[in-house]
Amino acid sequence: MPPPKTKRFRRRTLRQILGGVRRRARRAAGTVRRVWRRSLQLQVVTSTLVISVTVVVVLGVFLSDQINKSVITGRQDAAAGEAFADRVQIADALNQELDDQAKPASGKNAPADPLDAVMETITGSGDDGSKKRYEVLILNPASPGRSRASGNVMPANVPEPLQQWLHRQVEKVPNDKPYLHKAYIKFTGESQSRLTLVIGGLVSVDGGATYEVYHFFPFSEEEQMLSNVRLAIVVVGFGLVLLLAAIASLVTRQVVSPVRLARQAAERLASGKLDERLRVRGEDDLARLAASFNEMAGNLALKIHQLEELSQVQRQFVSDVSHELRTPLTTVRMAADLLYDAREDFEPMAARSAELMQAQLERFESMLADLLEISRYDAGAATLDLDSVDVRDVVLRAIGDSEALAERHNTRFELRLPNEPCMAEVDNRRVERILRNLLFNAIEHGEGKDVVVTVGADRDAVAVAVRDHGIGLKPGEETLVFDRFWRADPSRARTIGGTGLGLAISREDATLHGGWLQAWGQPGEGTQFRLTLPREAGADLKGSPLSLVPPEIEMRRTWRGQMTPVLLPATGDGAGHDED
Amino acid sequence: MTRTSRLGAALVLAAAVACAGSGCAVIPVGGPFPVEEAGGGDLSKPFQRMIAVSPRDDWSPQQVVQGLQAAMAAYADDPEVLPGYLTGEAAKTWRPDGPVTVIGNTPKYEYVGKGDGKEVRIRLTGTPVARIEDDDTYVPISGAQPQRIDFLLLQNEQGAYRVTSMEGGSGLLLTQDDVSRAYRPTSLYYLAGPPGVADPATDRRLVADRVRLRVKPTENFAETIVRRLLQGPSRALSGAVGSVFPQGLSVRSVRSADDRVVVNLSGPIDAGGVFADGLKAQLKWSLNANNVANGRIIEVQLDGEPFFSSEALTIPAILREEWLDNDVRPAYYTSKGAVHSLNDDGAGNAVQGPAGQPGETYTNLAMSGGGDLIAGKHQGGGGIWVTRVAPDGRWEQWIPGNELTAPSWHRDGTLWTYDKAAGAVLRCDVTAGRGPERVAAPGLDNLDVTRLRIARDGVRVAVTIGENQVMIGAITSGAGATMLGNFQTLTTVKDEEIRDIAWRDGERLLVLVQSNAVQSVREINIGDGETTQLPTGNKGLKSLTALSDRVLAATQDGGEVLEFKRESQAWTSKVESDADSPLFPLG
Repeated sequence: MPPPKTKRFRRRTLRQILGGVRRRARRAAGTVRRVWRRSLQLQVVTSTLVISVTVVVVLGVFLSDQINKSVITGRQDAAAGEAFADRVQIADALNQELDDQAKPASGKNAPADPLDAVMETITGSGDDGSKKRYEVLILNPASPGRSRASGNVMPANVPEPLQQWLHRQVEKVPNDKPYLHKAYIKFTGESQSRLTLVIGGLVSVDGGATYEVYHFFPFSEEEQMLSNVRLAIVVVGFGLVLLLAAIASLVTRQVVSPVRLARQAAERLASGKLDERLRVRGEDDLARLAASFNEMAGNLALKIHQLEELSQVQRQFVSDVSHELRTPLTTVRMAADLLYDAREDFEPMAARSAELMQAQLERFESMLADLLEISRYDAGAATLDLDSVDVRDVVLRAIGDSEALAERHNTRFELRLPNEPCMAEVDNRRVERILRNLLFNAIEHGEGKDVVVTVGADRDAVAVAVRDHGIGLKPGEETLVFDRFWRADPSRARTIGGTGLGLAISREDATLHGGWLQAWGQPGEGTQFRLTLPREAGADLKGSPLSLVPPEIEMRRTWRGQMTPVLLPATGDGAGHDED
Repeated sequence: MTRTSRLGAALVLAAAVACAGSGCAVIPVGGPFPVEEAGGGDLSKPFQRMIAVSPRDDWSPQQVVQGLQAAMAAYADDPEVLPGYLTGEAAKTWRPDGPVTVIGNTPKYEYVGKGDGKEVRIRLTGTPVARIEDDDTYVPISGAQPQRIDFLLLQNEQGAYRVTSMEGGSGLLLTQDDVSRAYRPTSLYYLAGPPGVADPATDRRLVADRVRLRVKPTENFAETIVRRLLQGPSRALSGAVGSVFPQGLSVRSVRSADDRVVVNLSGPIDAGGVFADGLKAQLKWSLNANNVANGRIIEVQLDGEPFFSSEALTIPAILREEWLDNDVRPAYYTSKGAVHSLNDDGAGNAVQGPAGQPGETYTNLAMSGGGDLIAGKHQGGGGIWVTRVAPDGRWEQWIPGNELTAPSWHRDGTLWTYDKAAGAVLRCDVTAGRGPERVAAPGLDNLDVTRLRIARDGVRVAVTIGENQVMIGAITSGAGATMLGNFQTLTTVKDEEIRDIAWRDGERLLVLVQSNAVQSVREINIGDGETTQLPTGNKGLKSLTALSDRVLAATQDGGEVLEFKRESQAWTSKVESDADSPLFPLG
């Protein structure tokens, strides 16, 4: 069915578009907010803009209003004055008309009708009259032939409200109060209407007739002038706001730029570039800030240098002590070997002492070896002797080395090896040492339960996981285990004579390969160590083929999360995600 | 950074100081600066109009008739009010066509009588003053009987009176005040010489045509003038003058631009072949003579584009060329039959040649336009004789005849006279080698023509009929031949006698009138009959001559030549004795 399809398609598209828009808007808002928060300059400029716009608008409105008022009031007053003078003239003329009606017109060119004569004077339409700025309309609808107009004014041009108001005034006794009205009027023969001030007043003649007198004053020039003024105010205001914003921007930049430089220097300093310094220019506050910063950086560098030196001295000391201890130890060892070999000839007490001495000497030796090894790391003298090997073989060799110890602890190994070879470029000796350390550790803390050794591989990396089911690790101990001479329970004795440096050395070995050595543990659930190595030495690791958390624990965790409300059958998925 | 910021601060400070400084003076003083000349003057003079109001139901029949008359005065501006005064029937038949009747101010309205029941008759009595024809000519009427127009009114259902018919008058009826309010005497200028006959380029001269134009509130007066100018001359000059504007040309607008007046024309005109100087002169004088666009450049456009496709046609504010040709020329007078020149301080020398010799043989002398020929009537009845003003000149007979009127020179060098015996106008064109020829003048048939004077514009002709009528005609070209036509009566006198006539210029004619005891000199505008009375002294005048502002007269006795001074409105003596008949070239 095509129509519903398109409909659905369209609706979805619309929703998508809306969603996209919303997303984009949110992202833009986020960007703006971020930029706003980070830029002191932007904040200062924005506040300046807001304040100056407010001030300019208030001032502009006030100014424009004042100018409008003064111009329009002035013009209106002048217009009212002119209109009043004209009305007086008209009233005089029309009242005289009554007196002199019998008299014939004297001058040749003077009109016979006083209304015409007064209109000629008012409008300047006489022989020597000059054009007036305004037009006049005299209206007397009650008498025939008593209405006059100048220019192109028609009775229809009078605004309706003004006329009505005047008609109402006719009844009142003192009706000499004029009214004004401003309107856009379209005069005859003109294409567009223009703003006109109309002043309407009444002129009463003694005979009882009432004349409506309207004056039409064009206001287009005033309107034009005021609109020009307003435009000028707007332009000037806009320019002022821009100027203020530019000034604010300039000033803030002068302050913010050194602060930004200081921040960048501090960041570089924090990232380890201790010789980073600020340029000091002038003597102002910012210059002093730069000087203080430089002093601080200098002191820090000095302190760090001293500490490094101290650390170096300590490491050297440990190395030297280890070396120095070997020579007497060899002698002691030779003597102890002699005593140990002849122990059966001794009394039981002495024989036992010889055995103890032998064991502790071995331990002392291995400790010394470990110390030497770790001091080599500290000195940065450790190197890799790379070889392409099958990690499965290395694992098997390590297990072979550990079997004797496992038997002593009644511990069995459970091996989970892939069928394909897991080739990797590694230092065979060091990896074997790591694995041996992990296996000894697992046996020691495994409480006789099975130790599971899993090997996994993917395209980039190989991993070996060693899992015991002992007492496990408390939260936070996953990293502590790699510390030198760390012990989970200080009260527990070392049964297999670990030096306390094994895991530390193993970690250094793994790091030297560019790999990871990580631990997982949970009280009562045992511990799992996972070694991940890149197939090519030095390549960056992106992940591990094996999960750090043992699969069964992971499975149980997922299961518990889903099963809380209702009992559901186990999915048996088991594919735990890699937390790395 | 600090240097730039310091510089910026200094600049800002300087700007602030400048702003504050200039703000102290509201209007800054200083100068001189060149000023852009904005358009001065308007294209119309202020005017007032009658506003027609609709009739009220409570008006008396007389008020209704008064209102109707007022509505007639306002009809051209607002034609919607007038039908409200008429009954439905009358409104359908009433037409505002035909000539406008002008009556004197304050006409009388009176009840004539009541018809049966609802009919009322109101009689309007007024003195007819003039008529405004369809071609806008203002024809004054003098000495006519009062005109009576009877308005028949009918009362309708509401009790209001409405006009059903008018008896004794048709068309619009206006009072003098109405006319002076709404109409403007206007002079239009056309090219002298019959259209298409004379080469306009050779005779560069304008002829005034005076009309009354109604002021329209919707357009400026300049536009009204140009619109009327394009329509062509009035009947008095039809066939006698030409115009560069062809038929069908119309005016789009006449408006004021910065420093000029822009006349925008539209229609069929050949911009390339038009006689541009004539166009300039016609427009320039037609506008300026009516006080419009004086001292301003006039630009002529065609359909809003420059007149010539490549450049604009502009008429400078001051056109040096003289198209009306009223130069001050020397005046002459005769003393004992000899022609003398008249100097500023009085009598001058006699002219050269036989005309300067005393003698009584030749009278009614007339001087040609160039001042080189003098014509005179032979006292012995031997026709018109002409002599050159030169030592070797001698009298020659140009036109034979016993009953000829005084000779009159045309500006083209021809000599005109009227043969009373033959009842014909004669023209003699010696330069073309032609003797006296009859010129057709149908308007003068069977009339007693006593004087014939050709105006200086070479178009107008004034004749006196008997001793109490002046007629004005024009030299027209009918069917290719020159003739005198378009005759109209200018003035008629009763109980008076016309003694002499003289042209001042193309528009004004002086008429010397003698009644029983009183003499008067009337200056009559031939366009609209407007008459101005010049004062006469206590010395009786015999003959007149005039040129523009100079008016000379010879006294009846005492042999004086007087000049009229406009400033003092009085005659002063120029030559004290032995002087006779002053004369100017032409006219």
